[in-house]
Amino acid sequence: MKKHKLYQIPDHVTDVILESISDGVFTVDHEWRITSFNHAAEEITGIPRDEALGKHCREVFRSNMCETDCALRRTMNEGKPFVDTSTYIVNSEKRRIPVAVSTSLLKDEDGTVLGGVETFRDMSLVEELRKKLDARYQVGDMVSRSPSMHRIFTILPQVAESDSTVLIQGETGTGKELLSRAIHELSPRRGKPFITINCGAFPDTLLESELFGYKAGAFTNATKDKPGHFAVAEGGTILLDEIGDLSAAFQVRLLRVLQDRTFQPLGATKSVKADVRVIVASNKDLSKLVKSETFRQDLFYRINVVRLDLPPLRDRKEDIPMLVKHFISRLNRLRGRSVTGISQKGLALLLSHDYPGNIRELENIIEHAFVLCPDGQIESHCLPDNLRALLRGSTTHAKIDAALQSVEVQVIMDALKRNKYNRLATARDLGIHKSTLFRKIKILGIELPNLDGRTQQKRAR
Amino acid sequence: MKLALTVCENRISPLFDCARMLLIVDIVDRTSTGRHFEVLHYESPFSRAAKLSDLGVKVLICGAVSDQFANIIETYGITIIPFIAGAVDEVLDAYLTVGLSDSKFRMPGC
Repeated sequence: MKKHKLYQIPDHVTDVILESISDGVFTVDHEWRITSFNHAAEEITGIPRDEALGKHCREVFRSNMCETDCALRRTMNEGKPFVDTSTYIVNSEKRRIPVAVSTSLLKDEDGTVLGGVETFRDMSLVEELRKKLDARYQVGDMVSRSPSMHRIFTILPQVAESDSTVLIQGETGTGKELLSRAIHELSPRRGKPFITINCGAFPDTLLESELFGYKAGAFTNATKDKPGHFAVAEGGTILLDEIGDLSAAFQVRLLRVLQDRTFQPLGATKSVKADVRVIVASNKDLSKLVKSETFRQDLFYRINVVRLDLPPLRDRKEDIPMLVKHFISRLNRLRGRSVTGISQKGLALLLSHDYPGNIRELENIIEHAFVLCPDGQIESHCLPDNLRALLRGSTTHAKIDAALQSVEVQVIMDALKRNKYNRLATARDLGIHKSTLFRKIKILGIELPNLDGRTQQKRAR
Repeated sequence: MKLALTVCENRISPLFDCARMLLIVDIVDRTSTGRHFEVLHYESPFSRAAKLSDLGVKVLICGAVSDQFANIIETYGITIIPFIAGAVDEVLDAYLTVGLSDSKFRMPGC
């Protein structure tokens, strides 16, 4: 067999290649001075090569890991490369540019270490796309991937745009106030007040003065006028929470306000017009209260214009990993911490719990873990005692495995439906290889319809 | 007047957002009358700005700074002199005498 002679690439060609690639590349000597800086490095950092050469690398690169966790320093110390470390750099316009960094040693032909080489890729576009993708699953401060919540997210802009009264039903801690706030923020009334009042927390007389206010002299100690929540919320939105706890007498008063859009402060002789959007929320099923005659039917019909039912967390456990990530990132921001995530075992424990307190309970659990795990991953020993007690039961591991599996099945089924059972598209959607998807479908015993997405497409043609 | 400089290995820190050490300098009539170090923890832009304000800092000399941090610090009435590089003592001397306009104190590309 004829042997081909390997073409030897001349040295200058390496320079041409370095100049033509889209990844930024620079090299440093042992004093951390920049010894080469390619064209893409100039483009990404905005620093001309002649200004960068000879300067200390961290004064050129200025990333958030330069001072404390420099990848190049680790490579030089440990003699091993690091690949795709995520970080950001700050350019001369004070703009953060997300980059993925890889580092390795720079050696000559004899293997003598000359310094280090760092390559970095501009991830701005990827980051922007990721944010857009995340936005599909986020409205205001609510995040969810579950189909039931997604249906709510989809119609929310139209609901917000209308001025109709909205009834939000859901167990305690499911995010009724967050949803109301999201409606307000998406509505033309954003920028105006958003006022919340818990109707179940006040006796009738106090609730009346809180909602509608009073005039000086209306009762003993009423020395001056006090505006009520309706007056304070003028032009904005008011959330009447726990409306199912209203007394029969107050329901009549509220019905009049909603019908006439006017209210009368205590002690006033004239009615005041109310330009306020009303959102009502309840942790009880109001239609059942109507049947049991504890809630007025006419008021129910008046408030039941647009109804949004928030599912409890136990019915959308596939949201738990995303919610945990969301809470960790928020607490990191608020507390200046650097918790990186949660361990597999910790997440499995969270998935095996039923959350009677819903999302609020999950948020409190993560806050508890933040007290005990200031950085690194949240491990199972950082979680509250009642959750860790689950680990001690003999059948617990089986329970946790079952919980993990059921969530996995749910996530895969949702993705398959979303992609009309096209398995390749589903694998892409889930960010896994198609063979991994096939294996999981088989192991988890997921039953699929006879037709897959591909066959459907062919038939459609 | 109190001046703060971000410090890393005797030089101005490359990036304020994650700088760990502040040198606080008391200045009277363009002369340094006292100095001490303050540790900065991983903190949000708000808490970092509040810390500078609590320390009574009026001017901050730092390396690069992202606008998330810069905007909040400036709302506290603190003047930022960003994108400064060099040995801390040299930077401080120059600030107190001739100013920091010399290009040797500017970060590359700034």
